Amino acid sequence: MDRRGLLVGTAALGATSLLSARALAQAKTLVAATFPGTWNEAHRNILAPAFRRATGATVTQSIILGTDQVARLQAAKGSRPPFDVAIFDSPQVLDAAREGLIVEYPVAKSPHYAELLPGFQDKWGPKITIQVIGIGYNPKKIATAPKSWDELWEPKYKGRVGLTALNSQLGIAFLAELNRLKGGDEGNFEPAFKALRELLPNVGAIAANLGAYATLWQQEQIDIAPYNFNFVQTLKGKDVPVELAIPASGPVGWSTSLHLVTNAAEPELAVKYIDEHLDADIQAQMLKPPYDVIPTNSKVKLEGAITQSIAKNQDDLAKIRTIDWDKLNPQRGALIDRFNREIKM
Amino acid sequence: MTSSPSPLLLPLAALFVAFFVAPLIVLVALSVSVDTAGTSLTAANYLKFFTDRFNYSILWDTLLLGVKATLVCLVFGYPIAWICARASARWQSVLVFLVILPILTSVVVRTFAWIVILGRQGVLNQVALALHLTQEPLRLLYTEPGVIMVLAQVQMPLMVLPILAVLTKIDPNLADASRVLGAGEWRTLWRVTLPLSLPGVIAGCILTYSACVTAFVTQTLIGGARLIYMPLHIYQQAIGANNWPFAAAISVIFMVAVLAAVALLTLVGRKSETYGAA
Repeated sequence: MDRRGLLVGTAALGATSLLSARALAQAKTLVAATFPGTWNEAHRNILAPAFRRATGATVTQSIILGTDQVARLQAAKGSRPPFDVAIFDSPQVLDAAREGLIVEYPVAKSPHYAELLPGFQDKWGPKITIQVIGIGYNPKKIATAPKSWDELWEPKYKGRVGLTALNSQLGIAFLAELNRLKGGDEGNFEPAFKALRELLPNVGAIAANLGAYATLWQQEQIDIAPYNFNFVQTLKGKDVPVELAIPASGPVGWSTSLHLVTNAAEPELAVKYIDEHLDADIQAQMLKPPYDVIPTNSKVKLEGAITQSIAKNQDDLAKIRTIDWDKLNPQRGALIDRFNREIKM
Repeated sequence: MTSSPSPLLLPLAALFVAFFVAPLIVLVALSVSVDTAGTSLTAANYLKFFTDRFNYSILWDTLLLGVKATLVCLVFGYPIAWICARASARWQSVLVFLVILPILTSVVVRTFAWIVILGRQGVLNQVALALHLTQEPLRLLYTEPGVIMVLAQVQMPLMVLPILAVLTKIDPNLADASRVLGAGEWRTLWRVTLPLSLPGVIAGCILTYSACVTAFVTQTLIGGARLIYMPLHIYQQAIGANNWPFAAAISVIFMVAVLAAVALLTLVGRKSETYGAA
């Protein structure tokens, strides 16, 4: 073969790779984002098969944190997004909506949407769960469950308290709740930072991310710290000594929701996928261990670990306090900055 | 003989421009913008960095961490390289493989392994308690000495391999001559081997320093959120606070600082190359 033939052949081969892989595939595929940890397992084991049965299409998971999803969607703005379904915690929804990264949820195309409790319906995307924070503690070292956030400040826990940095929802939710309990509000975080300064002698470690936070519990580096329900259940399932106690001030949390991304490759499939997640059967399956996802569909009967500490029925679910993210979100940068200055060694 | 650059270099140059120079230009452009859309230019990000003591304490801590970790790495790495160089041919390949083995595993895996070793119930503490060296478990995690220790081990291959490469090239006759003239082993090492191996030491130091200073995974997993170094600061500003222009400014400043340190080391290296010349 002469050089010209080789060049033409290579060019033709290259041209075929420009054809979209999806156009050539027989079965359709949806790319959906999911959180790392129990979330991606729940989606892979429960949601994906149900979705396949309902539509005949497969799901490819994109395992990525909420803030990173916003970053990637912003980078891909104007062209095809890397995934069609985004999963966000409440704060990211506002950022994404403002930047035009997600579209309003087509409620008309989603039959299960009407079954959600009113507090979990939202024009940008339905809420699929609420993540509740409480006081995580090591039952081997602490015999009685703590009853109030104030117990973290007790001198007997010197060096045994853990915290997580503010780039995670857990960190911000704890700071916001602390602020509220100490008398501050979204315009004034001084009470929270004053309390934080007083807590510092007790703090044994502050983890930079949630993965490192889990290792603090596994290695028994800390005995008591704010934590959320789902992660505690996951760790318990792996035989790590940790329990969650909801303080007397009541459970507080933030919701997680699914969204349709702007310019999605398969918008119909994406809406069907989200709708499938709202199905009462699917949510009931996810409620069971090891996933322990708190359901938002009004038809799901609450049972298991949730009823022991968080909510016995749907009315209790509606009472879980959430944070005013509209007011809090614009201050994230300033809060992270201030937090770093307070804790830096 | 012509002195014009060969046209064969064009593909590599094009690749370099597209994937290295162009993104750098975008980064610098972002650092002088007000927002990610690039609507207007401003020097506010750089001013914000330099007018705040908090920011350059982070920069200073990071650069100093690199120096400390590199020195520890050198102290442990030079003997390892020396042993590898002196070993017989069969043992040498085994030892070199053992040195390279850590690079074959992910840095995340290695760092998590160190968390298990340094933890309260980890191997180090169990040995220390058993030997009664200490009453209570030592606090090694989330402290700077812990970070330095782990960085030194994780970046060890980058120090050992350049030194080893230079040591094997040193003419053994020089060491023999030194002994014949009456110098003991230590004197030979200090006055003959060490100066001749200096180019390798400098190369190793440059590689290790750059790697230690930018080691995001190790610094955050072992150091935690209280030991804030530049990589974590950049990450929190970019992803946590969504303040991309400021993060870009911090990145540019960091890059310039590390380049300055590396340039300094290269200058010292250039002077040391004259030692080997006859």
